[in-house]
Amino acid sequence: MNELYWRIFLNFSFFIIMLFIAGFYCILVTRNLIRVMIGLELLIKAVTLFLVVACYVSGQAALGQALIITLIVMEVVMIAVLAGVVLSIYRHNNSLDARRLRELKG
Amino acid sequence: MPSLLILMPLAGIMILNFAFGRTMKRSAFWFAVVLFLIQIILAIFHHPVFWSNELEMVDRFFNVSFSMDYISFIALLSIGIVSLVSLLVARCSIDNEEDRFNFINLLVIASIGMSGIVMVKDVFSLYVFLEITAAASFILIAFWRKRRALEGAFKYILLSAIATIMMLTAIALLIVLAGDPSFSVIKSALGRSSSSFMVTLAVGIFICGLFIKGGLVPFHGWLPDAYSSAPAPVAILLAGIVTKVVGIYTIMRVMISLFGFSASMGRVFMFIGALSILVGAFAALGQRDFKRMLAYSSISQIGYILLGFGTGTTIGILGAVFHFFNHAIFKSLLFVNSAAVEDSVGTTDMDKMGGLASRMPITGATSVIALLSACGIPPLAGFWSKLIIILALWKSGHVAYTLIAVFASVLTLAYLLSMQRRTFFGKLADGLEDIKEAHTRIRVASIILAAITVLVGVFFPLMFDNFILPVKDILLR
Repeated sequence: MNELYWRIFLNFSFFIIMLFIAGFYCILVTRNLIRVMIGLELLIKAVTLFLVVACYVSGQAALGQALIITLIVMEVVMIAVLAGVVLSIYRHNNSLDARRLRELKG
Repeated sequence: MPSLLILMPLAGIMILNFAFGRTMKRSAFWFAVVLFLIQIILAIFHHPVFWSNELEMVDRFFNVSFSMDYISFIALLSIGIVSLVSLLVARCSIDNEEDRFNFINLLVIASIGMSGIVMVKDVFSLYVFLEITAAASFILIAFWRKRRALEGAFKYILLSAIATIMMLTAIALLIVLAGDPSFSVIKSALGRSSSSFMVTLAVGIFICGLFIKGGLVPFHGWLPDAYSSAPAPVAILLAGIVTKVVGIYTIMRVMISLFGFSASMGRVFMFIGALSILVGAFAALGQRDFKRMLAYSSISQIGYILLGFGTGTTIGILGAVFHFFNHAIFKSLLFVNSAAVEDSVGTTDMDKMGGLASRMPITGATSVIALLSACGIPPLAGFWSKLIIILALWKSGHVAYTLIAVFASVLTLAYLLSMQRRTFFGKLADGLEDIKEAHTRIRVASIILAAITVLVGVFFPLMFDNFILPVKDILLR
């Protein structure tokens, strides 16, 4: 990896870490299930960007394209399932408050 | 031709869903039975004609390539058996034909994902198959859209997504280091890599993600919730095989063929394993719910597998692989029994049961076999694998871990016996006078699993020489 690529990698890493922090903050602070989903999306976006940069700096742009498209498809599946679960929880509880998810413990 | 194990079920599902309407839907059950039987038979005989020949045209067309070794055979065998059992239980616990059809589709998709995980050769395919398995199991947990199940599913999805994100970060780091996602390229690149910080970071993040997926102790919060709220056949599938393949099997695979085993990682594994054993066993002692107790017991047993693997010696890894198989069998048997009890009594609260053995003799008897195997009473299968793990720990000089492993066996006996006494033994509880034995298919499933436990235990040398011992060839490579 030459000097220019290394600098690109470091610059992007900075923003990716910021995105990670934003995502984790969003998940940890909020009590709203939809906001948890948004936080999760932020994290996935961060990791997607990281993969793009990783493939670019290692000179594997074609490989990167294949990986990213697969990643986006898998991510959509997961978020769709999660949205379905959140919707069903809303139908049961009539609220999106995460504090009401306390039936299972012990 | 290993790719056929992925492509055949996939094609089958497409045909079942697109064409011919109701008659095809009714045959879905038999299609799945045949599929799992084929997988079991291929894994038992593991003839090289099937496994090492490649169908060039098919493989090139779909651009897939898989590789097999002896750990994969053990995993494929367990996947086949547990999926078949889950299917048998689902046949009588899901009445509606439409629902059952959906269940069978999801079950086959989950088993495609797991078969993929055990055969992959590069990290990105590993991620894809992990995600296929996970997506199918999310939907399966929330299958009836009951309140508790939704809560369990939500927790599982959230933690599993975070685990996935951690693994993808590690994959990106590995691609920066090696420039290619295949196992062999990454392994050789890691061997001559200079930036040790990035390697450590990648390995650490990857393994932590897998710990979350496998429900090991500092990361186990989702596991009891998901297991105890899931419908009965799904709980069998999850506890029997899903978390084991996506968690513990993948840890073994990446440590052996991706990162290479190191002593420091071995120490981490042994510590996490011992912690899981103790926390799981103590938490199981205090449970009232049948399935929840079994879930904690599952954490504890997975700890044994990791403890054996963490020794890094050949005999320890052989013990871990053997316990992987045995645990898949006896834990599914216990969950089948919980399904039978839930089916007849209508609850899983153990305080409301008692004396069921007089009404449900087969369920009671097979449950005794499973619990004796779980706590390692000879000559059942669980005894041999625990013995091998404990011997490996002793031989590699870890006296404290050996004592923990032996002591936790006693704890296992304690909580499982208390389960057995509260549920099956003693006086028949009030209001349970007209309980009947579970449905024939559940009984068949539990008899099959109990027979496997006893036979593997009695014919231990046969099993060990043909399936477990060849694993050591992989380690020498």
